[in-house]
Amino acid sequence: MATHDIFMPALSSTMTEGKIVEWLKKPGEKVSRGESVLVVESDKADMDVESFNDGFLAAIVMPAGSSAPVGETIGLIVENESEIEAVQASSSSSSSSSGLESSSASVGAKEKKDPIQTSKTISSKTQNEKDLNSSGAMVPESPIINTGRIIASPRAKKLASQMGLDLATVRGSGPHGRIQAEDIQKVKGQPNTVPWIAESDTPARTAPSTATHSTFEKSSKVQKAPSPGNSFGLPGETVHFNTLQQAVNRNMETSLNVPCFRVGYSILTDRLDAFYKQVKPQGVTMTALLAKAVGVTLARHPQVNVAFSSEGMVYPSQINVAVAVAMEDGGLITPVLQNANVTDLFELSRQWVDLVKRSRSKQLQPNEYSTGTFTLSNLGMYGVDRFDAILPPGTGAILAVAASLPKVIASNDGSISVRKQMQVNLTADHRVVYGADGALFLKDLAYLIEQNPESLSS
Amino acid sequence: MNNSSSFLFEPKKLVPFLKALKWQQIRQRNMIERPFLPHSVWLLQHSSCYTLGRGSDNKNLYFEENNAPFPLYRIDRGGEVTHHLPGQLVGYLVINLNRYETDLNWYLRTLEEVLIDVLDSLGLKGERMSGLTGVWCKGFKVGSIGIGCKRWVTQHGFSLNVDCDLSGFNAIVPCGLNNVKVGRLNYWIPSLTVSNVQPLIRESIQKKFGLNWKKTSIFSY
Repeated sequence: MATHDIFMPALSSTMTEGKIVEWLKKPGEKVSRGESVLVVESDKADMDVESFNDGFLAAIVMPAGSSAPVGETIGLIVENESEIEAVQASSSSSSSSSGLESSSASVGAKEKKDPIQTSKTISSKTQNEKDLNSSGAMVPESPIINTGRIIASPRAKKLASQMGLDLATVRGSGPHGRIQAEDIQKVKGQPNTVPWIAESDTPARTAPSTATHSTFEKSSKVQKAPSPGNSFGLPGETVHFNTLQQAVNRNMETSLNVPCFRVGYSILTDRLDAFYKQVKPQGVTMTALLAKAVGVTLARHPQVNVAFSSEGMVYPSQINVAVAVAMEDGGLITPVLQNANVTDLFELSRQWVDLVKRSRSKQLQPNEYSTGTFTLSNLGMYGVDRFDAILPPGTGAILAVAASLPKVIASNDGSISVRKQMQVNLTADHRVVYGADGALFLKDLAYLIEQNPESLSS
Repeated sequence: MNNSSSFLFEPKKLVPFLKALKWQQIRQRNMIERPFLPHSVWLLQHSSCYTLGRGSDNKNLYFEENNAPFPLYRIDRGGEVTHHLPGQLVGYLVINLNRYETDLNWYLRTLEEVLIDVLDSLGLKGERMSGLTGVWCKGFKVGSIGIGCKRWVTQHGFSLNVDCDLSGFNAIVPCGLNNVKVGRLNYWIPSLTVSNVQPLIRESIQKKFGLNWKKTSIFSY
């Protein structure tokens, strides 16, 4: 069963809690993705909160007029009408603690929105929960806490099955007693780790100082010991592939039947880095910047934005740049920045942040990760100086982007300088993209990044 | 650097409230669908009316909702009841905050700065009241702000009392605050009219948000 939480959004960086002005939907009502579900107010500003999913509003956790801390679950959305009843039933039968939660929150709201007071209420509440949990852990064999239908987040379910833990023995700390990943980790005595995603900021991680020496030391990472690598299993174990890993395996095997070639280029990034520094405060991400540069260049080189089919060369109607993102629990996903050539840089950045966030919570819709016409893969954040990528099926080319590193550059006039340089490597299907197409595309991309990165924001 | 081209609409006649609301809603919807569209700014005056925010309390009206002295509208913005009328300059901004800061507090404070800068250029000292939104001058509230937002595209904006008749404010508790004294700029500069203030507002908005006005001659109201 897929339940999606609606969270209290942050309307500003200083906001600690928000007031629910009005629910625009009633429990049981159908909602579509992008449709406004409720209105949240902070000060003299109203914000419409939208659903990220198609489905039904199953439960209102925080009623209109109440206040909730930023990030708190305020409502639940389910995908199928048949699931509404289950969620509603479990919400009314589940521990009185959720009832307490909302009443304490509305008390907080009446008390003139004192953020300190509210956070006090919350911390004392979590303290209680901790006590409950620790006393539960003292009992030698885990007692059954949940009877009937168990509500747990997908990640909690997965963790529980990996650890061989019965969800019926876990106390959920989420809304309506929903079991979350942290609850599983708490039971197993594991620290709460924040899921990570390999989302890079390179190549623009320039040190603010222009001193070449320190920049070099930083990028070659001599000072900080590298962190240990990842493993999905223990020594001696065989671990099943998860669904995502299986999908990646299939895609990678398919590529063995594609006659690929590779072509590389070194691009100077000093000017791109400077521009990035300028626009970063406005929320622009390096991924969006690179995707936009690739999108704009693809528009001038349609022969690189092309896919092979048995009928012939397929020219897509859009330029959609997919960006590979590694998932913490294995596999990778390629969220898509649609129409990257014409979409505003600031909007692209916003979309990217949203896509990454929802990749984490596994809330992407198929069209958000399967409609790429060209792929970008960036390992720059690890400092690699070059790599090549495997071509995803259904596309003609993928660009591997390495780290931007200081290099001694000799110019035509014989002068020598230290400049930042990154290597990019294009892998392309030779049935549709030829060497010269790839080379001209890279040359044009390099020209854009080296000579006119500022144009990306216009 | 910023894609900051913006339409500027300055209707010459009084605009009925719902008409201006409709204009904003259309531009907001378009901008949500196509986020790279130019921003839009309106500077105008309304015929007399009262508007209530979505969460507004009827306690703040000294009349029956169905027996109001002027048309009364309940609309999709934050804040309590307010009053619009000729002599009050209204500014509406439909802008994409993704190109600035996705922070409504920042946006409210920036709109206050727009008004404070205008007062400053008139030789008046505009002030904020801590914990409240709006602009005060010598203890009188002269500027009000209320905004709505969807996917960080804004609507609504601010109003500034220049030389309007303030008696209509006696029928309400402005902004739901009991101890607010409403004032107007011509208390201190008797000859001041909206047509003197409008160019200053236009300039102040342009500067604060780094806007380039696009030619809007094709839009005639």
